[in-house]
Amino acid sequence: MRCGLDAAGAIVERARAARAHPPRRSRLERFGAIVQLTVPRALVFVDRAFARRVGLAGRRDVAGLAAEPAIWAEPETAVGDVPLSAPLEAHLQLTNRCDAGCRGCYTGASPGGAPGEWGLAEWRRAIDQLADAGVFHVALGGGESAVLPWLGELADHARRRGIVPNLTTSGLAGLERLLAICDRFGQINVSLDGLGPTYAAVRGFDGFARADAAIRALRRVKREIGINVVVTRANFAELDALFAYAARHRLSEVELLRFKPSGRGARAYDELRCSDAQHRALLPAVLAAARRHAVRVKVDCSYTPMLAHHRPDRALLAELCVYGCTGGDFLVGAKPGGQLTACSFAAPPPPAAGGARPQITELGAYWDAPGAFGAFRRWRDAREPCASCEYHALCRGGCKVVSAHVTGDPSAPDPECPRVVDRGGRSGTRPRSLPVL
Amino acid sequence: MRRGRILAIKWGMNPNSSSLGVDVTFLLVGATVLAAVTPVIGALLRWRRSVAVEPAAPRPEEPA
Repeated sequence: MRCGLDAAGAIVERARAARAHPPRRSRLERFGAIVQLTVPRALVFVDRAFARRVGLAGRRDVAGLAAEPAIWAEPETAVGDVPLSAPLEAHLQLTNRCDAGCRGCYTGASPGGAPGEWGLAEWRRAIDQLADAGVFHVALGGGESAVLPWLGELADHARRRGIVPNLTTSGLAGLERLLAICDRFGQINVSLDGLGPTYAAVRGFDGFARADAAIRALRRVKREIGINVVVTRANFAELDALFAYAARHRLSEVELLRFKPSGRGARAYDELRCSDAQHRALLPAVLAAARRHAVRVKVDCSYTPMLAHHRPDRALLAELCVYGCTGGDFLVGAKPGGQLTACSFAAPPPPAAGGARPQITELGAYWDAPGAFGAFRRWRDAREPCASCEYHALCRGGCKVVSAHVTGDPSAPDPECPRVVDRGGRSGTRPRSLPVL
Repeated sequence: MRRGRILAIKWGMNPNSSSLGVDVTFLLVGATVLAAVTPVIGALLRWRRSVAVEPAAPRPEEPA
């Protein structure tokens, strides 16, 4: 009963927010179009015929002939055959400032932050560029972006430009300010890598009580609150308890993230990364927990090899938009100084011919440049065992950040993929810290 | 005229600023339930067909 009331309340709130600041409703693509729904919240990929049918292809002229959009001049493709016309979402690392000092922090955040961090004016320009490109959502993070005094203003600006802002926070700082502006975000997730002492085992300090208090406080004023869980060998056995926690606090989702050897995480990788057995057990374990506790579950793009291991229906994965590495395609990232990246874990990509490394404000010009996003766009040049894998078009070779760290080559098959492990492709456990691109 | 079809649905919004999260809850119920939901989404889109057309961003080689 309470869940039903929650869902109904969420629908009303979303409809109200969409009326106040209508989000971008659609975007044409080579395959057809992407249409955004706010109730239910979804991006719907449709082919050209469907797009014509719902009036997205422009008007017919006096002779009754439809003027086809320029992007449809080329033959119709399938989703994923060519990069999208723009990312679906951009991950903006607004600051690298954070006092928490988590030992696995993927950005190596610190109290002093990064040199040359952007302020509100620069990020507003970035939002303008993303809106002009057709981006639907931004995910704001850090560091701890909840401490930024202008965070609400930036979220308002994104809403005005038709982009839905979403947020990840540790819940350890900036809570009072965030409570006052949380209605401006589509979804807020709090990082919670364990309950009680497990939190400290993963993060290196005891922050559970503060994160828990933040989740409770946010949930009292907003329905779309979830938790992000970085899955490690220290908290794997506690996943079911984390789903139970989410159900108990009526959270909207649990999002599971694979541990990445990036930032301080590169040093902690050998200690915290999941074992091969845990990777193979992940999907059955989380689906069982999601069913038992009736909580929605999301997994991050880097887990696609671990999903493919269980041989799910490929058509179903494609229909659910379950892709592996879509950096520089479905998503882009930006560092605190505005440097454009294929994803938040990656180093800034190589400059376009004759230019400097691109900024997020130059996304439109860089997107179609030859060689843009380097290895991230060259996933089709796969070697074995990816080349013959029937899931490769979805998985795209797994996480390039893990491959780069473990093998030194971002184009190498993901060394933690069970198929790669079975073929003896794992190249040892001594990581090398090399740039991604 | 061909009716066209829905190719994929990405559910929810991704708040995670470090990777792309996708909802896999449907893996619990399989393709049958998704096949039942998809026509509902299609009907919702057709019901909304009066929405203003928003063209894709101009490409660098195309005039705005």
